Amino acid sequence: MSVVITVGMADYKTAKMPDILMTAGLGSCIGICVHDPMLKVGGMAHIMLPTANGNKGSNPAKYADTAIELLLSGIMQLGASKMRLRAKMAGGAQMFSFPGKPQVLKIGDRNAEAVEQELKRYGIPLVVADVGGSFGRTIHYDVGTGELKIRTINHGEKVI
Amino acid sequence: MDITQIQLDALREIGNIGSGHAATALSTLLQRRIDMSVPEVWAVPFVQVSDIIGQLDTPQAVVYVKAEGEAPGKAVFFFPLTSAEIVCQALFGTNGPFDLFNDEMAQSALKEVGNILVSSFLIALTQFSGIPFQPSVPALAVDMAGAILDAILIEEGTLDDNVLFIDTQMSGIPQIEGQFIFLPNEGSLNKLLGALGV
Repeated sequence: MSVVITVGMADYKTAKMPDILMTAGLGSCIGICVHDPMLKVGGMAHIMLPTANGNKGSNPAKYADTAIELLLSGIMQLGASKMRLRAKMAGGAQMFSFPGKPQVLKIGDRNAEAVEQELKRYGIPLVVADVGGSFGRTIHYDVGTGELKIRTINHGEKVI
Repeated sequence: MDITQIQLDALREIGNIGSGHAATALSTLLQRRIDMSVPEVWAVPFVQVSDIIGQLDTPQAVVYVKAEGEAPGKAVFFFPLTSAEIVCQALFGTNGPFDLFNDEMAQSALKEVGNILVSSFLIALTQFSGIPFQPSVPALAVDMAGAILDAILIEEGTLDDNVLFIDTQMSGIPQIEGQFIFLPNEGSLNKLLGALGV
């Protein structure tokens, strides 16, 4: 029996096959999903901001850089090999646009860039990403197969 | 930051007066009775945010107005889609369905409702605290409530560990429900409380 494990905002969870990791209502936040396809274990982090800037506060799972570190060590504790890890991500939307305001620093884009850079730093391939746009996403991640199901309100459903 | 009981009471009173004005404005606009709950003040970590706005992936029509000035904050109205549709029907005087995702007239009407509500809230807040606020142009998103809220929370790229809300439920007859929240920005809370002498 597979269990659906919910990952909250600024939260991360790890799981083993056949469990599913889920996070609901990603806007500018990003859901980072990493798994070991051989051992069939993995994890998901729901990050809110790109970098902690040395200020972890009480919740390192909030930031892309500190959350990925936590997520990877959690997955490794389940026995995964860093060499085999594969990543996917979704989110990073721009939900509002204010007329007349420059869009230079879109937080969703900055989040996506930070995740990409951080994964590169650890040498973990980002297999596929579904980021940007102006709509929310709810995601389900199968840690066994690595399938990431993305549901939206008005922009269809897909599996990446 | 830690908030004392007396400060919580002051924030609740801000919520009460501000939301009262906003509910009156909504009632006048829609020409029907609007009830409001006693405002709650919440200081919660993000993981508990869903307890306040309900299911994070339920679609809602959300109007977002920034309160700019010395003590900036964010004002957000959540309307369930059925309620948003009833609000549009009342404003346009029809019974027809509205496609809230695409109908620009309906979206514009909802933004205006948000604008009026938030302006009433801010006028009350200014009268109460002596701090002037200027509402921004309203923005509207019709999508998952959680997705919209996270975008609002992290818009400036910074975030406290806890998020503080002044939260009021409004309901009208028939079948209008809405939730109004006001989020003081980091630093604004002290100014606001200082102006109230607590």
